[in-house]
This record gives sequence, structure tokens and C-alpha cells, in this order.
Amino acid sequence: MIGQNVPRTDGVPKVIGTARYIDDVPPLPGELWGVTVRSPVARGVLQRIELDPSFDWTDVTVVTADDMDDEHNVVALIEYDQPVLAKKQLRHMYEPIALIACADRDKAERARAAVKLHIDKQEPVLSIEDSLAAKHVVWGEDNVLKKYEIKQGDAEAAFQSCELVLTGTYRVHHQEQLYIEPQGVIARWFAGQDGQENLKILGSLQCPYYVHKALKKTFDLPDDRAHVEQTVTGGGFGGKEEYPSVVALHAALLAKKSGKPVRMIYGRKEDIEATTKRHPAICTVTIGCKNDGTFVAVKVDCLMDGGAYVTLTPVVLSRGALHACGAYRFQHHHVLAKALATSTPPNGAFRGFGAPQTIWAIERHVDAVARALGRDPHDLRDQNLFNEGDTTCTGQVLSVSVGGRACLDAATKAVDWKARRANIDRFNEKLARDGKRVRRGIGISTFMHGAGFTGSGERRLKGKVAVDLTPGGRLNIRSASTDIGQGTETVFRQIAASVSGVPFEHIDLEVPNTTKVPDSGPTVASRTVMVVGSIVGKAALEVAERVRAEMKDSGGTFAEAGDRLLKRVGGTVSSLQQYEPPVTRQFDEATYTGDAYPCFSWACDVAEVEVDLDTYETRVLKLWSASDVGRVINPILCAGQVEGGTLQAIGWALYEDVVWRPDGSIANARMTNYIVPTAVDAPPFETILVEIPFPAGPGGAKGVGELPMDGGAPAIASAVEHALSHELKWQGSLLPDLPLLPEKIFNRVRQLES
Amino acid sequence: MLELDINGKKQQVDASPLARLLDVLRGPCGLTGTKEGCGEGECGSCTVLLDGEPVNACLVLAGQVEGRAVLTIEGVGSPEHLTPLQRCFIDDGGAQCGICTPGMIVSAEALLRSHRAPTDEQIRDAIAGNICRCTGYQRIVDAIRHAAELRK
Amino acid sequence: MTGVAGILDGVRFERARSLDEAVSRVGALVSSGEPFHVLAGGTDLVVESHLAPPSPVARPGRTILDISSVPELSKIEDRGDRIRFGGGVTYLTLRREPWASRIPLLARMARDVGAIQIQARGTLAGNIATASPAADGVCGLFPLDTLVGLRSASGERAVPLTEYFTGYKKTQRRPDELIAWVDVRVPARDAKWAWRKVGTRLAQAISKVALAAVIEIDKGIIQYARFGMASVAPVTVSLPSVRALLEGRGVDVDLAALDAAVDRDVAPIDDVRSTGDYRRHVARAVVRELTRSLTT
Repeated sequence: MIGQNVPRTDGVPKVIGTARYIDDVPPLPGELWGVTVRSPVARGVLQRIELDPSFDWTDVTVVTADDMDDEHNVVALIEYDQPVLAKKQLRHMYEPIALIACADRDKAERARAAVKLHIDKQEPVLSIEDSLAAKHVVWGEDNVLKKYEIKQGDAEAAFQSCELVLTGTYRVHHQEQLYIEPQGVIARWFAGQDGQENLKILGSLQCPYYVHKALKKTFDLPDDRAHVEQTVTGGGFGGKEEYPSVVALHAALLAKKSGKPVRMIYGRKEDIEATTKRHPAICTVTIGCKNDGTFVAVKVDCLMDGGAYVTLTPVVLSRGALHACGAYRFQHHHVLAKALATSTPPNGAFRGFGAPQTIWAIERHVDAVARALGRDPHDLRDQNLFNEGDTTCTGQVLSVSVGGRACLDAATKAVDWKARRANIDRFNEKLARDGKRVRRGIGISTFMHGAGFTGSGERRLKGKVAVDLTPGGRLNIRSASTDIGQGTETVFRQIAASVSGVPFEHIDLEVPNTTKVPDSGPTVASRTVMVVGSIVGKAALEVAERVRAEMKDSGGTFAEAGDRLLKRVGGTVSSLQQYEPPVTRQFDEATYTGDAYPCFSWACDVAEVEVDLDTYETRVLKLWSASDVGRVINPILCAGQVEGGTLQAIGWALYEDVVWRPDGSIANARMTNYIVPTAVDAPPFETILVEIPFPAGPGGAKGVGELPMDGGAPAIASAVEHALSHELKWQGSLLPDLPLLPEKIFNRVRQLES
Repeated sequence: MLELDINGKKQQVDASPLARLLDVLRGPCGLTGTKEGCGEGECGSCTVLLDGEPVNACLVLAGQVEGRAVLTIEGVGSPEHLTPLQRCFIDDGGAQCGICTPGMIVSAEALLRSHRAPTDEQIRDAIAGNICRCTGYQRIVDAIRHAAELRK
Repeated sequence: MTGVAGILDGVRFERARSLDEAVSRVGALVSSGEPFHVLAGGTDLVVESHLAPPSPVARPGRTILDISSVPELSKIEDRGDRIRFGGGVTYLTLRREPWASRIPLLARMARDVGAIQIQARGTLAGNIATASPAADGVCGLFPLDTLVGLRSASGERAVPLTEYFTGYKKTQRRPDELIAWVDVRVPARDAKWAWRKVGTRLAQAISKVALAAVIEIDKGIIQYARFGMASVAPVTVSLPSVRALLEGRGVDVDLAALDAAVDRDVAPIDDVRSTGDYRRHVARAVVRELTRSLTT
């Protein structure tokens, strides 16, 4: 089973159109349509909410912060600083202020326009620089949401004895997840058998237990009276990690006040404007090395823009910091990471979770060092890439499943790097001779991504999974890990079948629902297969072993023995497993030392591009990606993760840009202007799966979800620089900042020429 | 009352001629396989065939399709009888989250009706109006090419 | 989502079955003073009416007059040296034979209009009526000595497309007129033509700059040089200075003079998609590239 291309089990309903996403759920009796009244300013003080007296409000439900006390008016996550509805201080554009529900959607829209907000405007803080300078204090005492320091050795002292010390500053921008199915939930209150009020949320979401936690806090509900169920989810990429709690709380508030079910489905514009995005960052990187290219010391100063509330920023910053030194061997490391508050909507989870931001910086800087040394960017990476036995910035000794070099070698071979680069150089000379206005280039990135939660996260989380025996010798997996397209429900079945020996077709999967499934932890951090998958296997095996013991004792087929066992024990044969992280060197969160992750996934991306010397349009002609994600459970699904993630990285690099107006609003909150790649923009992919097994993962698997987001952008930038290197000379980095929009390259070239 | 021809079936539908075809399909017709991703003709999730040509159902008013034939994903195959395209989308990894899949398959269906052996360039052009955020498109292109071979 | 089925309540939907019916209905609506919108492919109007409710298009009391089923508007008359396309001809039709071979410029341009779904609905007249300076369809028609046929109850007149636009989204069309046809000159068989769209991506993109050109050369002398350029001014521009520079001359063009001519003809601005500086640079570059291609 493991390693086989089993067709995805949710495939049929998806290709015939019967898969039921949240807005495909038929209307419930009496259902209302919910909409949100949002702040029209990025910063200000709300004085009064006025309902237009000329509007007929009789069949309209309105909820404001006054419907809750302050203690319950919080979106429970890490900190309890974000209100469900703003009461007084408005901290970002589009912040929710009031909620409206009405059976008539058209009237709900009109009612939204009939809510008048009286606001005293304040000047917003819209950039990392302004926040750092404390232009205005918008959070805490100094706008600092979180900071970390990582130190091994003494980088500053080591620089003194390095033959080359190079510093560069690199910037990355917001990115919208742009899942094609917008956010949406249906909320319904109902009386339980005991007469107590229960709340049911049905929705498009990644982490049912995150929503559960938020509901319990705001509505003072015990565990068993808040029920959260995932519907088929049309993409998430992190965007449906923490944000669905907000939508669920809003719909639940409206449902509670109106006494009716409430459906809230965001329109595309609202979804782009109001929901989370990737954290922008500014990283200053210094690398000290010898003249032969041997890396000695690295220092990274990383600033991230957290937006208006804490949300998940501390964790994003942490992951960013832990990946800031890249996949390279240094003797000395120093990372300073700081997240700052601004008056923009909270930035949040997005595939890669801080790592793409810092990996952009280190990869770009490795290219700059290669240029300074006159070295091929491939060779400098080859020389310094981590090997087994090397030590990371937290002092973690890489001892298991260290596949970086295997990936670099596999990609190099597939691409035929040396020959191809030389050919491209010759081809460019010919293009120049012929007066052609395009040039080609090839670029590379090597990177690693920690699998699972950082440090002792998994130990604290205690993720659980249950497997039940059901009639006919079938197994039913109950897990809170959601399938949002990755293929979780297929690979979980493959793992269960492979470990337990029960046929794949005899394994079922419970729809993630907090009432029915244990808390497996959130569907994030490339942890689903490696962490949750491993206990899926254990639980399935335990149940199957019990049935086999029954077979041994009393004979019959597996199905007969299973049915007999069920009958004898009174209906429940189940195994509940809790994740036990592999024993590693304890991670110390105070000093950021120790084993940050049980293992890393590794990859090498190579991009070949064509750049127009007049328009600076970049076309990606081909993208090779060699990834080590351990043993691959399902090659087609796995390659789909690699390619899809890489295209998101290409989008981030070349097209996607959130355009902010000076007032803190978004100028391009539509799919016509927020540009993601189409099928004609996307390159052909050659995906190589390098399998270096991780013994503690199921069948040897590691994590795959986020890794491919990390390396695409720097590989593209490296290739664009190569293409332009025939025309231009520069020092350091030609393209230090994302996105590589034609206008920005044009400005950079002009600056260089003048 | 509108008289519509949907998936080969003529039917009376209680809807305003000013309603978007998308809303009429998803609402009164109960055909929720046609998805809404943007509402402005950019994402292609609501692609249906109108007299055999792919259109965005969010940009067509219901009153405009009286007398014309509409084909939605529900008219393309069934659980028991998947078309080669549908089979290949599953087997080759062309569907992930699945929200773009119905529209993507409808666009591909239009292509394969007029091209027996499309090139990759023709395939990519035919689905350029269908945004997929999950797959990177490679496996969708593979699935369509593969389906074209099976249809021969 | 915005699945607001009733958003257009109070708006009347009418469907014209012939051009005469459409024209007389438009005339009646104009004289009665009732607000109305003419609907063809819907690729602009339906977006506008549904995307941001409550929208001005959807106000009660209005009439939406659908002309998408008017047979005369899909007619195409090939008269040899000129072709008359009904206003309702879609971009997808232009991509197909025989029209793709007759005027490859239009077929190539049509391929860059949105993607197939938009090409199947978007019409030549719709693009002209919307009068966006970014319209690829208008830009592609500019070099073809195009006449716009305006029909009203009182008769028909032809206006050269290059004179049709009078300002940003302002045109010579009277409210009682419909765009019945566009009449284009078929370039000589050996004519050079070019279509270069610089968009936000390769499909489903709005032009940052687009250039359409037809150039006919006889005995080394440029006899006919006509252009359309999108997204570089409040209206589509015909690059008159560039034309004046090229027509009657040989193909060896002075590039500095060419740049200066382009500069005189464009007035690009910053917007959400690009910058004025970049557009000016690209406008020069694509015209240079075009003239380079004449010598090869």
C-alpha cells in the first residue's frame, strides 16, 4: 500500500460535482444570511453605531460588541487580544464591528449599508519601519508582538577573522492564500436531550478544534456542547487554519440572537480584504566565509509584520527564525527575530509559515556571496550544504534522514546543471548577436523544512487518533486531521491498510467532527502524515491484532471474527492512540537550543526562465524539484503537493502582490487584479521524489505540505539574475526584494544604470 | 417562469431572467456542481457549456439562455459511468481540493470535443480561464492529454 | 457568496429578437427617459451589476435590454478587401476559420482576450461600447481602418473607430444608437502585422500596454502603417506621430525619432496594475521591436 498510487478516495464526488462544500449544503429551515459590517478606517476610535432610522429593521438581526461582555468578546487563540467585534478601538481596515442577518440576502446587503459608523480617525501604522520606529504605538508598549534570539557560537567575533563578510537586506511581501472556495460556515443552535443549548458549526476549515476552542470561550460552552464539523473544503493553505474561528463566532452570534440558523459565506472581495495573509518580512543577512567559499558564520536580523493582533504571529516568527540560516553548515549562528504590530488585518498562517520569508533572504544572500566569490551558485551550495552529523543554529545534530545532498545531486543530474548553464550562456550570446531582446537564465535553491510542530509542541499537543472496528471487519479512522485537498483521507487509509493488513477498501474515515473525533491537533505544519499518520497506523494495527487474536481463538474470516468480537464486547472495539514524539534532545524554549524538529524535509529547486529585456516579463520555462520527504506514501498525491506548492511560490515571486492604499485598504481585492498563475503561466514541472526514510514516520514518511513553498521564489530570482547577468553588472543582489514584478525589475535596472 | 434546456432536459424553472445562470443552476435547479469562486468571470469554477462553448455561468443572465442548451458537470458523467476525463482527473492527480474541478472538466470536455489529440499548449490554452490553486496544473494537463488518448 | 438571486428585482429584462426591434426599443427608452442598459456578452455589465450590490446598474426601474440573440449581430459579410462583422461577433469566432486566416491579427488578439470563457461571450461591439482604454478588442481593430456602424431608429451612420472615442469612456455614440457592425479593411496578403500584449500574466489578463499594428511595404517604402495602443492614455491611441514618421519612408527607422514619436502619442498613468514610467518604457520598446521586425 505504501508507495502506491491509490486513486484518491474523494475523487469521484469531486469529478462529478456532488462533493458538498459549505455553500452546497441545502438551506436549513428558517435560515438567515449573515453579513459583516467592517471598519472603513485602518485606525480610529468607534464612537457610535447608528442604525439608519429610515430603514425597516423588523426582520433584521443586528449584533454588536454590546451583545457580549469584554471577557467573552475575544477570539481565543494564543493571546486573547483580538475581539470578536471591535468595541471602541479600531485597529485595522475591515475590522468587524457589527453583524447583520436577514432571510433576504438582498436586504441583508442593504442593511449593511444602512449601518452608520461614527468614528474618530487616527493615523495608521502601515509598515514594518513605521512600527519599529514607534511612529504610533498600536500594540503593547512598543509595537513588538514577539521576539526571539538564537545563538550558537559567536558570529560577530567570527566575522572578524573571515576573509569575506557580506551583508544584504531582503524584503518579502504579503501573499493572499486565494483558496478558490471562500471562507464560509453555517451556525445553528439547538437544544440537546437535556434541554441545554448546543451550538453546531458546519464549515470550510482546516482545524475543527481551533474553532471549538474559540466557541467554548466566547459562548462559555463545555466541550460537549460545541460541535464543529468540516465540510468538503476547497483549499486552505493556512488560510483556513485560524480565520474560520472568526467566521464561526460571527455566525454563531447571529444565530444565537436571531434563534435561527445563519449562513455566512464570504464574497471574494471580502475574503481578500479581511482575512489573513502571509507575513511580510525584512531580513538583513550577514555571511562570513573563507575565500575558498567555506561558510563560517551567519547573522540574520529578521523583522516581520504581524498585523493588528497577535493571532499566530509568535509561531510564524519562530519558524521563520529557525529556518533563517538555511540548509547550510556554519560554525557560528546568530538570529534576532522580531514581529511588529501594524494597522493592517492580522497576518497569519500560509503554507511555509514564516520559513519562505527567511529562506528567501538566506538563499538570495548565498547567491550574492557566490557572485562576490566568483563562484557558481550551485557549487557554493554544494560545498556548504548540510551533511549528516552537521549542527543547526539551535545546536541540533542532524542525525537522521538528512536528504539535502541527495536532492541537490538528483536535481543537478536531472538538469545537467553545468552543461545547461553553459549552453544557456552560449545561447544568450547568440541572442545578443541576433539583436533579440530576451535572455535565458537558470537558478537554484536548496532548502529544508522542519516537519511537525516546533520543539516540544507535539509533546504538549498530545495529538490523538482513534480507530474503531465496525461490522464486516472494517476499520473506521477517527481523526481531526482534515483533507483540504492534500489527500489526507486517502493516505491515512493507505497507512492504516499497510500497517494493519486490513484491505484498503475496508477502511473508512469519519468526517472530522469534534463530537466524533479526538483532537489530533491542527492540520498544519506538515504534520499530518508524519505525526498523525503514525498513530493512525498504530491504532489500526492494535484493532486488527485484536481481531486476529479472535480469529486464532475461534476461527473464521477476519470479518466473521470481527463481528463476533463486536458482539461479545458489546459493540465497541476501538483503539485510541496518542502521539509520542521520538526521543530527541529536548528543545529549550528559553534559549532556543536543542532539537527544534524531529527531522527535516529537504529539497532542491532549479528554474529555467526567459526574461524580456524590454518589458522585464519573466516566463518560467521549466521547473525541476527534487524533494526528500522521506518514504512517499502516494507518489501522485505527493508530487501534486510539490508542484502545487511550488506554483504558489512562483506566483508569490512573479505575479502576486497585495496593493495597499495609503489609508490601509487594499486596491486589488479582486481576482482580476490579484494575479495568480494560470495554466499558460505555469511551467512544466519535473518532480523528483528522493526517498530518505525517517524511521519514526509511518513507513518512513516525513512532512511534505510546506516544503515546496520555500524554494520556488529564490530559484526564480536566481535564474532571472543569471539571465540579466549578460547585460548588467552589479554587486550584492540585483533582486533583493519580492515580488519580481516587471515594474520593480525595470526600476532596479534603471537605478543601476543611472 | 423560464424554459431552460439543461443537460439535455427541457424544464420550467421558477427564476428571474435577471438572475445569473449560476444562481439559477445552484438554487432552483439544485445543480451545485457548478461552483462560485469569484463572481466576476476570473476563476472559471462556474464554467458550463452554452451551445457547446465554455462560458462563465456567473456572467450569463438566466434570461439569455432560453432557447439555448446548457451543459453542467452533472451532465458530464455519473458515479457509475465516469467519462475518461473524470477517470483521468482522479487517477492522474488532476483534482486536489476539487473546487475548480467541475469547471476544469467542463472546459476540458469542450476542448476534447473539437480536438482529438490536443497539444500541451492547446490544453493549457483551453483551461487558462480555470484557476487552480492546488495542483500547479501539470497533473491536470497530464489528465486531459491522457483522456484524449483514451477517447480515441 | 454574492449569490444574490433577487438583487435585480425591480429591473425589467427584455430580449430583442431582431436588430430593428432592438433599435426601436432603445429609441423608445431614450425618448421616455427611462434608464436602461444594453446587454450583450455580459462580461462587463453582469460583473458590475452583481459584484458590488447595491449597484447603480441594478436600481429598480431600469431596463436591461438583451441583444445577445439578435441574429443580424452575429452576421459576417466578407466583401474581399473589407469584412463587416456584426457587433455581436465574439472573440472565439475571430479565432476560428475562416476569419483566423483572413485577418490573423484579429485572431491573435482574440486569443489574448481573457480566456476561452470570456472569448465565447465577449463581443466586438461590447468592447467598443464599454470604451475602456485597456480593451484589447478595440486596440486590435485600430490598425484596420475600422468603421463603426451606429444604428438608430432614425438611420445608420459610420464613424471611423480612431475618431470614435472622445475622452475617457466617452464616445461619439448617441444613447439611442446601437453598434450594429464594425467594418474592417483586410490587410494585403504580404502585410506585416503585429500583436504584442504586455499584461499582468499570459491569460485572463488586463493589458498594461498592448500594441496592434499593420504595416504594408512596397518596394522598400512603408505605404501603410497603422496602430492601436491600449492602456497608455485615457483612450486607445492610434500613434499618429509614429504613423507620420513611418509612412512614405524606408524601413530603416531612426530609433531616437521613433521614441520621441511614441512619447508624443502616449500619456500613461500609474494604476493598480502598473506604473506610468513602465508603460512609457514598454510603449517605446514594443514599437522599436516592431520596427526591428520589419527589417528581418
